[in-house]
Amino acid sequence: MSSRSDRKVSAREHAAQLRAAQLRAERRRRLLSAGAAVAVVVAVIAGLIIAKLAGAGASTPSAASGLASSQVMTAVTSVPAATLNKIGVGSAQGGPQHITAPALTQAGKPKVLYVGAEYCPFCAAERWPVVVALSRFGTFTNLGVTSSAGNDVYPNTPTLSFHGATYSSQYLSFTGVETTSNKLVNGNYAPLDTLTPADQQTFTTYDQPPYVTGQGGSIPFIDIAGKYVSSGATYSPQLLQGLTQAQVAAQLKNPSSQIAQAVDGSANLFTAALCQATGNKPGNVCTAPGVTAAAAQLAKG
Amino acid sequence: MSTQPPRGLQVAALSLCIAGLLVSAYLTYEHFTASTTLACPDTGAINCAKVTTSDYSNVAGIPVALLGLLFFAGMTLLCTPPLWHQHSPWPGRARLAAVTVGLLFVFYLVWAELFRINAICLWCTVVHALTLLLFAVLAVVQALAPTAVDERIGAGR
Repeated sequence: MSSRSDRKVSAREHAAQLRAAQLRAERRRRLLSAGAAVAVVVAVIAGLIIAKLAGAGASTPSAASGLASSQVMTAVTSVPAATLNKIGVGSAQGGPQHITAPALTQAGKPKVLYVGAEYCPFCAAERWPVVVALSRFGTFTNLGVTSSAGNDVYPNTPTLSFHGATYSSQYLSFTGVETTSNKLVNGNYAPLDTLTPADQQTFTTYDQPPYVTGQGGSIPFIDIAGKYVSSGATYSPQLLQGLTQAQVAAQLKNPSSQIAQAVDGSANLFTAALCQATGNKPGNVCTAPGVTAAAAQLAKG
Repeated sequence: MSTQPPRGLQVAALSLCIAGLLVSAYLTYEHFTASTTLACPDTGAINCAKVTTSDYSNVAGIPVALLGLLFFAGMTLLCTPPLWHQHSPWPGRARLAAVTVGLLFVFYLVWAELFRINAICLWCTVVHALTLLLFAVLAVVQALAPTAVDERIGAGR
């Protein structure tokens, strides 16, 4: 009798052990499935990173670069004074901000330092008014034409380039630095110009709050003789979308054009700041109604 | 047999949700308060502003940061203690389904950062990592949860 009862207990224990083993196996199977799912997720992320590092993310090709045509050069460097005067500040926003800093000079003349990059759409927008303004004080040679990167915001914004360009003026000296091109090489934009240690120091020091508003280290950055700095664009690159450099340049003489309102208005703001650096020389530029209107705007801050 | 996952996993899931909620809240705040500057941040591949102001920062007009905030708010709710104590399998299934959708969205955002924006936002990466970890924790939780198969085995059928 006792032996029969023992056998029953033993059978129940055996069945319970079997069920426990089955439960453990089932749980192990499900844990392995969960582990496999997590491994797949990690593999997908790793695959994306590896594909990126291997250069699978080739960018949209940017438009070809080269020297600006004489047509573009003439249109940009000879905007009629009547147009500039009629526009005044136009639709330009912000503009150079007055700072208190040691004078920035080169070869005994007030120095203008521009730091930008060819990939940057906001730099693309800002080069137009900078060239229009500086052309009232001197002469550019070998200005390039290019466009912002095709894979960034405001892709392929048509513009000029200071890479390889020179500027001569009896009033000012100018250094234009394009740190990178608009072409990706191994996931980074190819380097172009290098800042001198002194220019790097200027950029690092004054492209920061409180000298500029917004995020420090942004481009385009412009330092006008240590008297004014500007960080960012004075109008949206959206205005230039879908146009060629020649089409943009051709708009600058038309005071009713939205592009002229932005570019020429901004150029007047830069001209007013440049006049502060040159001691209001040349007089015919610095006393022009468009420039005095812009100077009043700058004084308001 | 306990119907609840180990307490450590419950705490881990809730902690990840709260961390995700805080980072998403910060990114949402930044999205709505940061001034739109017409400038390119010159800081290379690690560039949060470039990511959070790109065309990919909105989906169907809704800020991605806000979607992240709503996701983590929902996940936090699903990972609160009362919902761990439910006998119904649905909270667990809802958690896993939601975190899987979140994970698919993370794949899309990582792809956009790497191949379209060409910049990485570290705050966004923190959110992506938290989502991945949450998926791992909830996958284990779901694996440990009793199922109909367990019940059949337990009943000796």
